[in-house]
Amino acid sequence: MTETNVPAKQVNRSIPRIEGRDKVTGRAEYAHVMQVPGMLHAKIFRSTVPHGRILRVDTTAARKVPGVCAVYTSEDVLRVIPNPYYGPAFHDQPILAIGKVHFVGEPVAVVLANDPHVAEQAVQEIVAEYEELPAVYYEVEAAENKVVVHDELKPAGTFADLKHLKGRKGTNIALDFGLRRGDVDQAFVSAAHVFEHTFRSQKVLHLALEPFASIADYNDGGVTIITSSQGPSFVRSEIARLLGWRENRVRIKVPYLGAGYGSKLYIKMEALAVALSMLAQRPVKVALTMEEQFYTITKHPCTLRIKSGIDKDGRIVARQCTVWWNGGAYADVGPRVTQKSGFTASGPYDIDNVAIDSYALYTNLTPAGALRGFGVPQLAWAYESHTDMIARALGRDPYEFRKQNLLRDGRQQATGTILKDAAIDKVLDRIAELLAWSSPFDRGTGTVRRGRGLAVAIKAVISPTTSVAIVNVAADGSTTLYCGTVDMGQGSDTAMTQIVGEILNVPAEAIRVVPRDTDVTPYDMGTLGSRSLFHMGHAVHLAAEDANAKIAALRRELGEPEGSNTPLPELFRKKYGMQAGNIIGTGTYRPDYIPAEAQGLTPNATPFWMIAGSGVELEVDTETGHVRITRLITVADVGRPINPKIVESQLSGAALMQLGFSLFEKMHVDGGQVTNASLADYKIPGIHDVPPVMQNETVEAHQNNGPFGAKGAGELGTFGVSPAIANAIDDAIGVRLTELPLTAEAVLRGLRAKDNRPLGDV
Amino acid sequence: MIPFELIEPSSLEAAIAQIDPEDPQVRPIAGGTALTLMMKGGVFRPRRLVSLRKLGPSFTQISAGPADELVIGAMAPLSALEYSAEVRRHAPVITQAMRRLANVRVRNVATIGGALAHADPHMDLPPILIALGASVDIAGPSNERSLAVEDLLTGYYETALANNELITRVLIPPQGAARAAYFKITAGSADDWPALGIAVVLSATGAQVTAARIVVGAATVKVARLRAAEKALIGTNADDKTLTDVAEAATSEVDIIADIRGSASYKRELLHVYVRRAVRAAIERNGAPRV
Amino acid sequence: MCDMRSRTISFTLNGRPVTAEVTPHQNIVEMLQTQFALFGARESCGQGLCGCCTVLIDGKPVSGCLTLAIFLDGMELITIEGLVASGRLDPIQQAFIDCGAFQCGYCTPGFVLMTKALLSQNSDPSDAEIRDWLSGNLCRCGAYPEILSAVKTAARAIKRAATG
Repeated sequence: MTETNVPAKQVNRSIPRIEGRDKVTGRAEYAHVMQVPGMLHAKIFRSTVPHGRILRVDTTAARKVPGVCAVYTSEDVLRVIPNPYYGPAFHDQPILAIGKVHFVGEPVAVVLANDPHVAEQAVQEIVAEYEELPAVYYEVEAAENKVVVHDELKPAGTFADLKHLKGRKGTNIALDFGLRRGDVDQAFVSAAHVFEHTFRSQKVLHLALEPFASIADYNDGGVTIITSSQGPSFVRSEIARLLGWRENRVRIKVPYLGAGYGSKLYIKMEALAVALSMLAQRPVKVALTMEEQFYTITKHPCTLRIKSGIDKDGRIVARQCTVWWNGGAYADVGPRVTQKSGFTASGPYDIDNVAIDSYALYTNLTPAGALRGFGVPQLAWAYESHTDMIARALGRDPYEFRKQNLLRDGRQQATGTILKDAAIDKVLDRIAELLAWSSPFDRGTGTVRRGRGLAVAIKAVISPTTSVAIVNVAADGSTTLYCGTVDMGQGSDTAMTQIVGEILNVPAEAIRVVPRDTDVTPYDMGTLGSRSLFHMGHAVHLAAEDANAKIAALRRELGEPEGSNTPLPELFRKKYGMQAGNIIGTGTYRPDYIPAEAQGLTPNATPFWMIAGSGVELEVDTETGHVRITRLITVADVGRPINPKIVESQLSGAALMQLGFSLFEKMHVDGGQVTNASLADYKIPGIHDVPPVMQNETVEAHQNNGPFGAKGAGELGTFGVSPAIANAIDDAIGVRLTELPLTAEAVLRGLRAKDNRPLGDV
Repeated sequence: MIPFELIEPSSLEAAIAQIDPEDPQVRPIAGGTALTLMMKGGVFRPRRLVSLRKLGPSFTQISAGPADELVIGAMAPLSALEYSAEVRRHAPVITQAMRRLANVRVRNVATIGGALAHADPHMDLPPILIALGASVDIAGPSNERSLAVEDLLTGYYETALANNELITRVLIPPQGAARAAYFKITAGSADDWPALGIAVVLSATGAQVTAARIVVGAATVKVARLRAAEKALIGTNADDKTLTDVAEAATSEVDIIADIRGSASYKRELLHVYVRRAVRAAIERNGAPRV
Repeated sequence: MCDMRSRTISFTLNGRPVTAEVTPHQNIVEMLQTQFALFGARESCGQGLCGCCTVLIDGKPVSGCLTLAIFLDGMELITIEGLVASGRLDPIQQAFIDCGAFQCGYCTPGFVLMTKALLSQNSDPSDAEIRDWLSGNLCRCGAYPEILSAVKTAARAIKRAATG
């Protein structure tokens, strides 16, 4: 069939998301609510101590509860999976605790029943005894290695730079990444001014509204896992590794994903579900409650000490960063955060002398992993607050000071990689323009004061990673796309159809995207770190071009004259005698990359840079500390957006999420126990938290090595929010807060301390 | 949640008879939001629940009584109060507070009687009711009695009710020309349980305050009347100096408890500031502005 | 005397009279999922704070995860699945699509049903009224600005259709 009304371009169009109907009608299926015939429900018994040896786990009473099918501990798991440790960087996390527990909430035992209520009831009957061990919670203290979380480090072998840690004992340092450029010590000595500050950020978590869920159906031939995952390929290879199987016996299916923000990566409940299904010889569903998410994966709390040397002309000549990442009890992807974000710790600034030491620490808390921004929000919190403080201390305008020191294309980032296609200048200028920065600003004189602040940040996309895509053209000319990128609301399916449509010259809306299923969708490293639009976009682009090439070859084979536009269905009919056959195009993309050497330097650190910033106007009630954001501006460089409307929604959504992290979200931990593990006491932004004015923009840019000039957008809105708010508070009331969250109480305490009327300690 | 027995009597007497006063695992259930939460959390494991849903229309009615008092059936859902013209006429401070009380879905189901019987010290309604001088009618197996709401709420999730007593009505005396304000201060997201709630109802002749009730919620073990603050206010013209004295009295007379929404010191500061603001708002007839 | 067994309740589900066997401790979401294969109402926070479990009982939005199914006897229940009349999307659903008022979609049925209830009782809500009404529905993806637009767009569309 011919498409006569194909718009000139499929890319740079704001077409509606293709899955909209399923979502607004409630027809979209999510793992958490799915059912498989004959499945058992699993409920988890969790550790109540932060660090301890397991003396005994008594499941007798639990087994006797009517309706209980089985109760399992690690003893049972070891019978079916002899080496049940998993993790992307370290194989340190056991499916169920073995010998020791390392954080409150760690899974120790599981009850299986047909009725989840019965399973829950039986969990209450399990009794465990622990010999409690000293615990460590604070990242800087953990680095002193006085209380050690793990007896021995177990790097996975997947990352070359972790190999040297194998077998190490007596340490909590899962990774220490170092970068040395120039000579900071010398530069500090000769600098006109030296500033040093320490910043802290808190433990928060993703809280996707669909909690983690995995349904495993095991039989000797294979295992199928329906799971809420952002990375089905990794799940497949890791489960295959745990079982000692070929990958093609493991099938991972991801229906609609009720969000992830980085939480649903690597292995979460999948290995447990598989082990349980193996033991029970029935399908098993492990579906967590909202509360249990607090015991699964969080963001990395972070302490960052940052020191800068400024010359007499106001140039930053040296910057030294020491970053302690609180990784919790298991490494998850922490070591990657430590390194891949670590090397941008000095910020988007042109600095000749840089020293970065970035440590991933084990502590006795819920493990930390990837959360939207992958460490950059914590880094930007420090360096954009620090840079602002320096400007103010020197009597310089914060915008001008940044502009003087900004990195520009053609200059070297701290790793030595030359910056390309990074519109930092434009982003900063546009933020300042939207804030009317050069116009006078009325800060008020009464009890309500006003302030404004800005911040700009840089992130490197994780590299190297691989994406594969398949484009399948059927005999009637209709097109189907197979790719492993998981659309969790960021619009990836829609964007990919636009890329394919552009190449094949068909409307994006006519292209079908197949749900993720590792039996059909090929390899993808994972939907994370804003990598998909670029990497999978390239793979999809290549696959579509491959299909095009094959269509052209078919034309030639059939003797079609050059430039003929015989419709595709006719070509198929000519070749096969009827409506039959397929043309299948494949594409694989992996960018070039040069690993860093010992000093953390490399000329090719990343295939693209992410650049974004925030501008904030706010009011402070000086009697209560209450902060009201009146304007929230997000500006980003996304190259040329494939779907401008979706990009805008990503900038906006990310900014609103980071608003919660900036102003009020915090996991309260007391003696290793999370005391606010529910939405009643851990508040996330609601509609009343949306600032009255939000402006989200992208600057005119082109990512030369990106698909149609585009690059990733999912995390950008998070980078600059926290420091922009702190900078605006400083602007309003002259109080500088260095710890998140920026609660009203924290602001009032700061005000009172400044006025020498400090608030009481309790 | 473990299985339990559910009984749905159609009369007050039958309902009371079903509740064994000595058995803490038998409780009445009204709207069910608070109780269901407790059951899901494993905090409360009932053997039997006695539903009050079918006691009859008199228990959900909202009307004016013979002395123009506002009479609210205990089973009236909060949304009924929100949209009631009678409530708006009698006590518009309640109508205004409803906008930010819990959420629409909870208000459709939670009842005023259930809320009071639950005695959660963080709720918005109790300080308002106490400031309005509200009372409750209570029915037991052999008698009926009345209590001021202030005397009903005795402690942290504790009331003066026997296990087999039920609130039947909430009465709010005619307010005359009294002016009211309620401030709900949240510390986390904008929509949250209050870190502090302040209700003020006062009467004034000209510039002079002749009567006042000031009540604080969410900051103390139970909702607390600030009598010393009231005393400092009555007979004055509520100028700035007086309001500072009122605030000082307020913060001195209660034991503020810290929680995750604020330290005790901070909540004390909030109390100091918002007592003044709430009194001013009441005087200026600003009603109950949200923070 | 003890009655913990299932009880049969009769109610109207999306316009059809139905019966269900429910035990006292089952909530509406469980009943819908296990007995009627309706998964648009989802238990997320489990505390009535997020709105993912929103259903309409006699036209009023309630939290399905906090409402005992047994209380449905004699009532009219509408779920998100009941909004599509003869295969056509409700104008509210269309507005959500047109405005891109969702991302992951987990909270979307809740927001749509809340909007349905709002516009049924207030055909021209102000921004403040819309925010107050929706303050009990959470969207972790942060699609609130788009949702606000969708509600206003839907209100206009419904008005236009009514006036012909």
